[in-house]
Amino acid sequence: MQLINFSVDRIIIHQVFQRGPEGEKIKPLQSHDFTRFDNTAMDAFKSRVRDALGDGSKAVQMEIVDEDKNGMPAIVNEIVGKDDADFVVSSYDVAKKLTDAQKTRGIPGGIVVVFTGTHGAHKHKFLGVIKAEIYSAYEKLIDKKTNEISLKYVEEVLLTPGTKLYKTAGFFERVGSLSDSDGLNSKWSVLISDNQISQTDGKAAAMYFYSDFLGCGYPETSARTTKKFYDAASAFIKQMNVSAEKKIDLYNALTTYLKVNTSSVVSPQEFGSSYFDVDTQDEFIAHLSEKGLPPTSFTKDNAHIASKLKVRKVQFSKNVKIIAPSDVFKDLVSIETIEGDLDESGAPKVWTRILVKDLVVNQE
Amino acid sequence: MNEVDFKEKWDLEKPIYKAWGDFVLENIENGIRDSGESLDVFFKIPPSVRLKSNESLVDKAFYRPGKNYSDPYNDIEDKVGVRFVVLLLENIDKICKYIEGSANWSFDKCKHFNLDREREPLLFTYQSVHYILRPVDTFNYGGVEVLPNTPCEVQVRTLLQHAHAELTHDAIYKSKKAVLPAVHRTVAKSMALIETTDDFFTDVTKKLNEGPVEQFSVQRSLDEIYMSLTQIEPLNQKSSLAIFDCFEKFVTEDLPNDIEDFMSENSFLVDSIKSNFDSGGLYRQSVVLFVYYLLRKRKQRLMADWPFSMEKLEPLANDLGVSLYS
Repeated sequence: MQLINFSVDRIIIHQVFQRGPEGEKIKPLQSHDFTRFDNTAMDAFKSRVRDALGDGSKAVQMEIVDEDKNGMPAIVNEIVGKDDADFVVSSYDVAKKLTDAQKTRGIPGGIVVVFTGTHGAHKHKFLGVIKAEIYSAYEKLIDKKTNEISLKYVEEVLLTPGTKLYKTAGFFERVGSLSDSDGLNSKWSVLISDNQISQTDGKAAAMYFYSDFLGCGYPETSARTTKKFYDAASAFIKQMNVSAEKKIDLYNALTTYLKVNTSSVVSPQEFGSSYFDVDTQDEFIAHLSEKGLPPTSFTKDNAHIASKLKVRKVQFSKNVKIIAPSDVFKDLVSIETIEGDLDESGAPKVWTRILVKDLVVNQE
Repeated sequence: MNEVDFKEKWDLEKPIYKAWGDFVLENIENGIRDSGESLDVFFKIPPSVRLKSNESLVDKAFYRPGKNYSDPYNDIEDKVGVRFVVLLLENIDKICKYIEGSANWSFDKCKHFNLDREREPLLFTYQSVHYILRPVDTFNYGGVEVLPNTPCEVQVRTLLQHAHAELTHDAIYKSKKAVLPAVHRTVAKSMALIETTDDFFTDVTKKLNEGPVEQFSVQRSLDEIYMSLTQIEPLNQKSSLAIFDCFEKFVTEDLPNDIEDFMSENSFLVDSIKSNFDSGGLYRQSVVLFVYYLLRKRKQRLMADWPFSMEKLEPLANDLGVSLYS
């Protein structure tokens, strides 16, 4: 799913609240009219949506699980095409749905932006929802007479750049909608950007948003996509023009990123920026796109690569192999390329020096 | 032919010479324009057709010391002339090549400073290129019949050569008193300096034009793609040079083709360009296609080396749906 050529035509904003002291729901505050941004504000709004859901973002594709007629996907399906007057009223259902989903007092309130527009080359419909948490900040003031700078405390600020402080979901009408046999999934493609999902063990904390509120779940294809990523990244490292030592480090990094990192999202952008220089990052992303990986992030499922992640293998041409559990390999084995004897042409052969920080316990 | 007959004939034939001069000027201008040059930039002095005045023609035919014409009317070949003044020696070559390759006239290359330099390597004097052009056949231009024996003198020179010619022609040639050897010497020295400077100019331009952007004529290719997609002529600014400069390493022979493919895969961008054309900025320039391409294919490098404020990238990233700050 690629967010291209999108424009926004209607925006309405409601407010949801944290649960009361006894855990009771507090009715969301309803707006009765659209928010009308001027051009600059609209561009900034579009930039927020783009940063959250666009190419290279941390957004992940999810699958619609809740097909109930009162579920959020059904609400979206119903209200997206409504005329302005009806949409203003129906959009409040989204705020009510979010209020229901925020079951604990630990979840903060905020504003809910419900917006519609078109996307894609053929201008298909979409409906977006942003939950933006309200926090405090400072506003810069300059005294006109003295040019002195001071800061004014602003209690309620929201939707600043950087996607950490807002959660975004987009329901995008699919190009050439499939038959209805697959339910709403055949009609809508869902992208969700929620910083909580990609945090360590964040899946549970984020669940109220993507599951309870939006009625979505991890796609069944996660395991396949994760394997595709592992294969494509391995192939990329293999063809890189770097030393054998560097490659070993990169393979170790890939294994660690997928296996040890507890985030439930794979962000190719994040992996790239952690381990590659700028140009290699671009080449890496281009390589993944060629191999059919999605342009955004995706949900992780190691089911198909569990055995590969368990062991690291290094193989030499004459059937010499080093095999070790990947976490042990990283700590105890180091490999270095050295210059060996001269070959017929007088150039040194490439040899490998292996150091194992352990003693031999058995041999056959 | 006495002076009176001479003047009469000249008055009678002036329209023919004017027509021939106009044809030559228009033809050369078209040729240069078609080669992709902007005439306002290419010609440092707007070229025009000049007919000799009666007085100066008579003076040259009958009273010029050292000239002894047997048939002055026909022997004098610069009765009509067109002068082209350009900045660089290579611009001169371009005009010469056009003149010599055209089937519109027969040409007689009567002066070229390169030949003069070979012939008289120790002499520093007036430098220019002169051609005499004559129609191949009788032909009609603007209702006037032009005969094949009608000559038109074409002069081609650099701005510096022109400056020297103006000085020597007006100040020395027409000087009322005898010119001292020291003055001749100083004028020769200035010609030596001009020749040196023209060479430096050539060198500088060559160095400035070295690089893949010029080598593969990327700007022109992008202009063509831009125009064929939007039907609007791009208004390129200096900012496009800054962008090409920063991302020169991605400019290859294949780039125009790659961008064309990219645009056909993302044809919705054409509407974005058209609808934002009036908002100005990058949308008006054909380099916008290169920036879109980089945003999709080389985002990290683009953001790392982007020479302007990031705000300029925002609208383009919105069009393409590329996350800049995820």
